[in-house]
Amino acid sequence: MDAGTFAPAARSRLRFRRHATTRGTQVVWNALRKFWPGHAVHNSVMFVVYVLLLFILVITFFPWVFPDVDTRGFDQLYYLAVAVILFLTLLFAAFAEAIAEAQGQAQAASLREIQSTIQARKVLPNGRRLTLPSSQLRLGDVVEVRPSELIPLDGDVVKGAAQIDESMMTGESDAVVREAGGDKTSVLGGSRVLQGIIEVRVTTRPGEGFLDRMIKLVEGASRERTPNEIALTVLLAALTLALLVVIVAFDYLAISVGTVTLDLATLVALFVCLMPTTIGGLLPAIGMAGVNRVSRANVVAKSGRAVEAAGDLDVLILDKTGTITIGNRLATQFVPAPDVDPKELMEAALLASSLDETPEGRSIVRLATRRGALGERVDPEKVRLVPFTPERRISGIVLDDGREVYKGAVASIESLTGHMPLEVRQAAQEASRQGMTPLAVSSGKRVLGLVILKDVVKPGIKDRIRELKLMGIRTVMCTGDNRLTAAAIGRESGVDEVIAEAKPETKLEVINREKRYGHLVAMTGDGTNDAPALARADVGLAMNSGTSAAKEAGNMVDLDSDPTKLIEVVSIGKQLLITRGSLTTFSITNDVAKYFAILPAIFTGVAGVEFLNIMGLANPHQAILATLLFNAITIPLLIPLALRGVRFRPSSAVELLRRNIVIYGFGGLVSAFVGIKLLYIGLSLLYANPLFIHWVALGRAILGGL
Amino acid sequence: MFDLRSLLDVGLAILIVLLIAPFLGRYMAKVYMGRPSLLDALLDPLETAIYRFLGTHPRVAMGWKEYAASLLVLNAVATAFVYALLVAQGSLPMNPLGAPNMSWDLAFHTSVSFMTNTDFQHYTPEHQLSMLSALLGLMMLMFLSAATGLTVAAAFIRGFVRRDGTVGNFWVDITRTLTRILLPLSLLGAFLFALAGVPQTFTGSITYFPLSGGVHILPLGPVATWDAIEFLGTNGGGYFAANAAHPLQNPSAVTNFLAVIMMLVIPFSTIFTFGHMVRRPGESWPLLVTVLTIFLVALGLFMYFELSNPFLAGVATQNSGYLYGAETRFTIPEDALFQVSSIYANVGATSMVLGALTPVAQSTLLFGMFLQSAPGGDGTGFGMLLIFTILTVFIGGLMVGRTPEYLGKKIGQPQIKWATVTILSHPFAIFVPLVVALVSGLGAVAAGTGPHAFTVLLYEFTSESANNGSGMGPIQDNTLFFNVAGAVVMLVGRYLPILAMLAIGGSLASQDTLPPGPGTLRTQSATFALLLLGVLLILTGLLFLPVLALGPLSQIGVGGL
Repeated sequence: MDAGTFAPAARSRLRFRRHATTRGTQVVWNALRKFWPGHAVHNSVMFVVYVLLLFILVITFFPWVFPDVDTRGFDQLYYLAVAVILFLTLLFAAFAEAIAEAQGQAQAASLREIQSTIQARKVLPNGRRLTLPSSQLRLGDVVEVRPSELIPLDGDVVKGAAQIDESMMTGESDAVVREAGGDKTSVLGGSRVLQGIIEVRVTTRPGEGFLDRMIKLVEGASRERTPNEIALTVLLAALTLALLVVIVAFDYLAISVGTVTLDLATLVALFVCLMPTTIGGLLPAIGMAGVNRVSRANVVAKSGRAVEAAGDLDVLILDKTGTITIGNRLATQFVPAPDVDPKELMEAALLASSLDETPEGRSIVRLATRRGALGERVDPEKVRLVPFTPERRISGIVLDDGREVYKGAVASIESLTGHMPLEVRQAAQEASRQGMTPLAVSSGKRVLGLVILKDVVKPGIKDRIRELKLMGIRTVMCTGDNRLTAAAIGRESGVDEVIAEAKPETKLEVINREKRYGHLVAMTGDGTNDAPALARADVGLAMNSGTSAAKEAGNMVDLDSDPTKLIEVVSIGKQLLITRGSLTTFSITNDVAKYFAILPAIFTGVAGVEFLNIMGLANPHQAILATLLFNAITIPLLIPLALRGVRFRPSSAVELLRRNIVIYGFGGLVSAFVGIKLLYIGLSLLYANPLFIHWVALGRAILGGL
Repeated sequence: MFDLRSLLDVGLAILIVLLIAPFLGRYMAKVYMGRPSLLDALLDPLETAIYRFLGTHPRVAMGWKEYAASLLVLNAVATAFVYALLVAQGSLPMNPLGAPNMSWDLAFHTSVSFMTNTDFQHYTPEHQLSMLSALLGLMMLMFLSAATGLTVAAAFIRGFVRRDGTVGNFWVDITRTLTRILLPLSLLGAFLFALAGVPQTFTGSITYFPLSGGVHILPLGPVATWDAIEFLGTNGGGYFAANAAHPLQNPSAVTNFLAVIMMLVIPFSTIFTFGHMVRRPGESWPLLVTVLTIFLVALGLFMYFELSNPFLAGVATQNSGYLYGAETRFTIPEDALFQVSSIYANVGATSMVLGALTPVAQSTLLFGMFLQSAPGGDGTGFGMLLIFTILTVFIGGLMVGRTPEYLGKKIGQPQIKWATVTILSHPFAIFVPLVVALVSGLGAVAAGTGPHAFTVLLYEFTSESANNGSGMGPIQDNTLFFNVAGAVVMLVGRYLPILAMLAIGGSLASQDTLPPGPGTLRTQSATFALLLLGVLLILTGLLFLPVLALGPLSQIGVGGL
């Protein structure tokens, strides 16, 4: 059995469509709406570009408004070209945001779909069954749940009894028995019925449920800016303001010094190129995309803040069961008693477990079969099942030919058979010492040997924990198991700390302890008794299968109910911040090359400044247009990166910094030099094209006629 | 082309500074951390008396607002006192050369100038300043302004260690800075200067009759003590108008050498003070490496373009390089070291005519004042560096995937907001008056027209905003406009960053300290130093390259010698 078989049906239904289809028209509409001034003003950096565009357009078409433009070498077509590129810059930035928005909307839509696809079988007053989406259940409705189905919502058993696997909810790997009447009636939504058919009365309200709220959050996540994003916005706005002062002063100063004549369009181009438009244009999209990426991992973040916090985590508190281990003990080994043929032991164990539907039972069947046991054909009608009870602690079957095969705790089998070979007893003690669970197997009065059950560490979990360690995150494993078992699993999985014999309040204690050290802590949880800890943790990832109290308390909900998802969320949070920092660096280092292009263009003929013209851009207007164009097209070129996030491989902070400085710092420097030069050459080719020359002439004629 | 030994002088001076700095830095940290020292027996009773007089208890710590308020009050009172002294000096004692009362605007400019650690002199000391004004007024301010800067740095740094929102007690800090750092060092400095031949006398002047006929008056005074605090306090105002080019203020290569060490020693030591105060001495190294890199490159550029200017090859060649008309007493490396140290440590003393330097050398000096932090003036220079470090941490911290933190304190919106105040205040304070001066024509009246006049005016306001105090003549700046505008620029350039530093310190001090983890950005690394260097140079270049192009750079190769 692997992790995937836990909730196969529910999970596949819950999954978002991998490629959320974003409607093209929606994106275009969203993008165009950003040109409405009320919208545009939200992004300070891009709003400045917006105002500059209007400014240039006014000069282009009504040059007489500014009496001195003629003395500054006014060229209408050049101004128009600058205006067009400014418009493109704005359009590209608007598209980046619109695409991210559309992704969020698509995800909200698929969330709505999910809401209506969890099926429940409602028991009508007339005794008939009605299958309906669980979202339509009301408080007090009664639903019927059969083996291997999920209980749709928290409730009370009103009829029947069943063995229920609550391991995903409570972390308890043993199945629990719930039955009508008495004090063991409450069942948890998301738990799976193993045996028996029960009717459950719903005790939570689904209609006002959390999915509705989640949908609003996914859609609205784009509107709330996180503290870090605000801080970066402040920095970018201040930089823009400082540059504005510099550029305006530059204009006045240049006029009075008189060495150069400054074209207003050139001045605007210089300003726009130096402004952090790349990061400014992409910043909203980066934040939204972060939340979207989290939702694509099937986790609903209640706020963008929580996603950012995930990048900052120092400590992860992981449940043993369901997170580090598969959640059920599995048979790993047969230990035959002296003088017993291993084959006989396996056959007997197989027989004893043939009707046992618990994960342990099924794992014994699987192991025995794999080791070559043939298995006897058993007619369920003709055998008597002896179920497991906490008092007797054995289970097995009585065949119609009178044979009795049992498996169970060593002591129980001993009292059943009246003896226990010394070797078997020693092997059992040894297994216990290593944190494993030995089950003795008997056939009649003969003790055949042991089946060793073991808590199996999930495949891949060791690698994830190692990655976490690389990222500087400490892992703490919490389990209700005894110290031996816990230590064994801790060793095997590589976690940094093991807390055994944990009580429900232990997690809260651990969180408080870590917080006292100033650590940021994350945990996963699903039970009601996890709620206080989930609320206290900086990142509380609640399982969708968990109780609504847990979902209420956490700041993220995993729709797959997969606790290892926390690790993914950490990566996404880090990726979000890295993308922001890297693109800021890129934006700033770009400016160096832009200076080397524009300053020589402005100071044509001034020998001292011309030595800056290391790119050899001969034509000033062409150089400025190439730079401005480079500035504009970096935005769409980086949209995929902004949406996908900078590639993040878990590694140490020093390494990350070095790599990102090289890629985005030096990369920004070099790419700008190369890009501007290439665009300049491209423009040269364009200018030489007869058709283009024709169009330019035509353009001038039309503009002249206006 | 030049004596290789003079290059050794340069290396030796820097080496001596770097050898003293770790020890002086640690000592200064002890002063600000209230650690016991050998001076306690002597100074404790004195300081206790001062605290009693001021009505403060040394154990009572202040929040940043109270600290800033105390600082502003003390600075304002001192400025007002000196202002009164200057406008009335003509009728006050100790006026051997009969300096007249200063005009209100010149007195305003002068008192603000010395209080803000700028020491920009629109007056001529020999004619316009009485000895009383010099000693009780300006020299007092030279001590006080340097001490103010250092207390700001101390309060700022405390923000990284404290968690209760306090940044220290201003009155204690300023007292201890004076009694335990500036006064003892100045005493030593004055002694050394006097030993090397700098005059130290209360005689106002010597009258002599040269062979060429006529009567000459040679002004004198306690120049050695003045020199010591001028350089140690990164003040830079000369006792004589010619400042360090004056043969009595800077008589020999030895005093030149001493002056360089005194100018650099406290700014470089503060970098080490920081490491000790945050209890992570290693944190000083990336900052030191960054500052030293910028400083040495600037020194190299200055030297290279004064020695062998490729842009001037064939136009003018001189065996002694291009310092002709600027300075000829010392060798080019020694002169370069003095001038670059003076500008980069925001002292503002001059030993040459800056207007006669090559354009690249001028640009180099201007760039140092745009930076203000390599290493910058006493205290505030380090504060600027720390602000740039915080910005670097903000960008770099993002790049490692965490919300940024430095020394266990989160760098968020409040810190960034105040950091941007300092980024904005400098260009505002330089460009607004510059535009006004040029557009109104007042600039042309004072300095003429053309790229060089523009450079002179740019230099004037840059020097005032950076609280540097050097001037690139010729400029007629003792006018109402230049006095008032200059004073306002100095006030903005001084107190906005100081407020920002204290505010950031205060906001950090009210945060809990987070433990460092392997996932946090390691600031003790070469990578971080490189990033800091990039942020410093690119952000500064971004804002100031256009005006450099308009001024000095456009004179390269024009023959504008």
